[in-house]
Amino acid sequence: MINKKRAASGLAAVLAAAGLGLLLGGCGNGSDNGKVQIEMVHYKPEAVKAFEEMEKKFNETHDDIELKISSPKDAMTVLKTRFIKEDAPDIIGIGGDVNFSNFVDSDMLADISDFEGLSSIKQAYLDIDKNLEFIPMDGVYAVPYVANAAGILYNREMFEENNWEIPTTWDEFITLLDTIQASGQQPLYFGFKDTWTCLAPWNAMACDLAPADVCQQVNRGETTFAEEYRELSEKIIQLLPYAQADPYAYSYNDACTAFARGESAMYCIGSYAVPQILSVNPEMDIDSFVFPANDNADEQLLNSGVDLQFSVMKDCENKEAAYEVLNFLLEDETVQIYLNDQNAVPCKEGSFTLPSMLDGMKEYIEAGKMVDYQDHYYPAEMSVDALIQTYLMEGDTDAFLENFDVQWIRYNRDLIRKVQDYEAKHGSN
Amino acid sequence: MKNDRKRTFMMITIPVLVLFFVFNTLPLIKGFMYSFTNFKGYGSYDFVGLRNYIDLFQDARVGKSYLFTFKFALVGTLIVNVLSLIMALALNNKIRFKSALRGIYFIPNILGGLVIGYIFGFIFTYILPAAGKAAGIGFLSNSWLSSTKWAWFAIVVVAAWQSIAMNTIIYISGLQTVPEDVYEAGSIDGATGWTKFKSLTFPLIMPFFSINMVLCMKNFLMAFDQIVALTNGGPAQSTESISYLIYKNGMDGGQFGFQSANAVLFFVVIVLISVFQLTVLGKKEEQL
Repeated sequence: MINKKRAASGLAAVLAAAGLGLLLGGCGNGSDNGKVQIEMVHYKPEAVKAFEEMEKKFNETHDDIELKISSPKDAMTVLKTRFIKEDAPDIIGIGGDVNFSNFVDSDMLADISDFEGLSSIKQAYLDIDKNLEFIPMDGVYAVPYVANAAGILYNREMFEENNWEIPTTWDEFITLLDTIQASGQQPLYFGFKDTWTCLAPWNAMACDLAPADVCQQVNRGETTFAEEYRELSEKIIQLLPYAQADPYAYSYNDACTAFARGESAMYCIGSYAVPQILSVNPEMDIDSFVFPANDNADEQLLNSGVDLQFSVMKDCENKEAAYEVLNFLLEDETVQIYLNDQNAVPCKEGSFTLPSMLDGMKEYIEAGKMVDYQDHYYPAEMSVDALIQTYLMEGDTDAFLENFDVQWIRYNRDLIRKVQDYEAKHGSN
Repeated sequence: MKNDRKRTFMMITIPVLVLFFVFNTLPLIKGFMYSFTNFKGYGSYDFVGLRNYIDLFQDARVGKSYLFTFKFALVGTLIVNVLSLIMALALNNKIRFKSALRGIYFIPNILGGLVIGYIFGFIFTYILPAAGKAAGIGFLSNSWLSSTKWAWFAIVVVAAWQSIAMNTIIYISGLQTVPEDVYEAGSIDGATGWTKFKSLTFPLIMPFFSINMVLCMKNFLMAFDQIVALTNGGPAQSTESISYLIYKNGMDGGQFGFQSANAVLFFVVIVLISVFQLTVLGKKEEQL
């Protein structure tokens, strides 16, 4: 009797221990076939097909390196969760936005200034990345890969049928909106249920109406948002009467679908929306123009930022292999695979064919008349998109701007202190 | 013999205790530690003392999320308990297809919160407004989800629809513990209808009422997946629950430290509420 019990309890303990072992064992990294493994995580799940093609091609041509690309949905959260677990991939493909700034600031990324491929990248994009550093750093931390451009997408067929002209100033734009509305058609469609889409018109208009480095200026204590964003705020809210009723009920997908079906003549969004729109209506003839937010066409700038860039993580054990992967990604053929799939703008010098939906923005891209997205400087936790959505719903400009300044200081406290320390040490230039 | 038994129990308990410690207590302690830092979730960080806790009480967004969550939880708990008690009373009667009906009413509980959220999202955005317009009912003709006044209630509806199932089952099992002879004795004294429910049934299922209140309140306070699927905290940040804010700004935004402090505070709040509920409701429980 006693023996039986003892055996039973012993068995229970062994089973439990085995279970624990299994659970903990799951965390380790398995499998090794002698090849150097390079893992890349990027945040463009919509480009998963292009990346699968690249991955296959790379692994076929390289015997010593095995490349593994994952394209998770909501990659930024996945990445940050993995950083918390201290299980970072070797290469990350992210946008040139505040996350990149934070990663550089937190000393997560490797300096890749010795990577030769950098010389083939257009200087304008390297500068955009440089500007994203909170405090100027030595070295280079990302290879800009492709850029996107935002402004207004329009239905070329509808415009030709009705003889509408592309506006070049704010007044012309409002007149055009009135004309379209008077003809009984819907000028604009918004998908404001997805709060981030509120940033699309905001960013595009900010290029003309606010200084490009307004956030840095505020961090240095030189100006306030109440001052710099007033005209922008007053103008963005004027767009609402030209969109569908209750735009906060519809998501980004709804808006893309509506625009694709010709329910609106224009859609204020970036070139990144084109693949989604074409998936609804592959025949659609889309073109774009730069958002005319001020009254001087010559002073207008295109809203363009780095949509995808690659960084090598500091913890990457095999930098040589990572560079090999970067070299492969920057080959003209590989870039073209991505461009064909995503209608993007390459950051690399060279003769690539630009997608036809960027016809209206081409001259700006070629002349380098571009400004980065304002929201690339906004901290994610401040949720500026939701603040703008609230403002659009309530319409109180003063309250919005005042709140913007208060929130900015609240969320950027550590950063502002850092910047001001840096200024004090290095003197302002 | 006695020692042997003890050892057996220890053998069974210790592995579970280790698992619990590794996966529950340790993260809790780590989170508590992070709540004193400005950790972004990655990279280097500094200790900032009690700053996060002081900030918690000054942050309008956190305050709003607490207000929303309590409003949501109170209304939700009330609706769920009233409706599921009615359902349980109905399903406990001798009606036809009783088992089949019990099964059908339990289905919402099996479905995932996200699935339900997306389906209801579609209903609220397209079907309900269309129906409202056709019927000429003003407040239905716009999507509830896009209105700062109504979005929270839309979430209550969805969350309640889902959690009524579980509570109904608990109430049904409670009703089955009430012995028939109590009703017989009551009927001699002339207790029928409402009096019978108020004086006999309800006091006897009081333990089930308290456990339902506690569970339901706790579930509603932790509302997360319905919100992700329906509104993502919008419109205008009007439906951000505490858990949603902790996840969103802690993981996605760079506020790991600050939201850890929020999580610690939230943990304390939930413990206090549960203890309060159990002591107050426990006093009212009747024993036969």
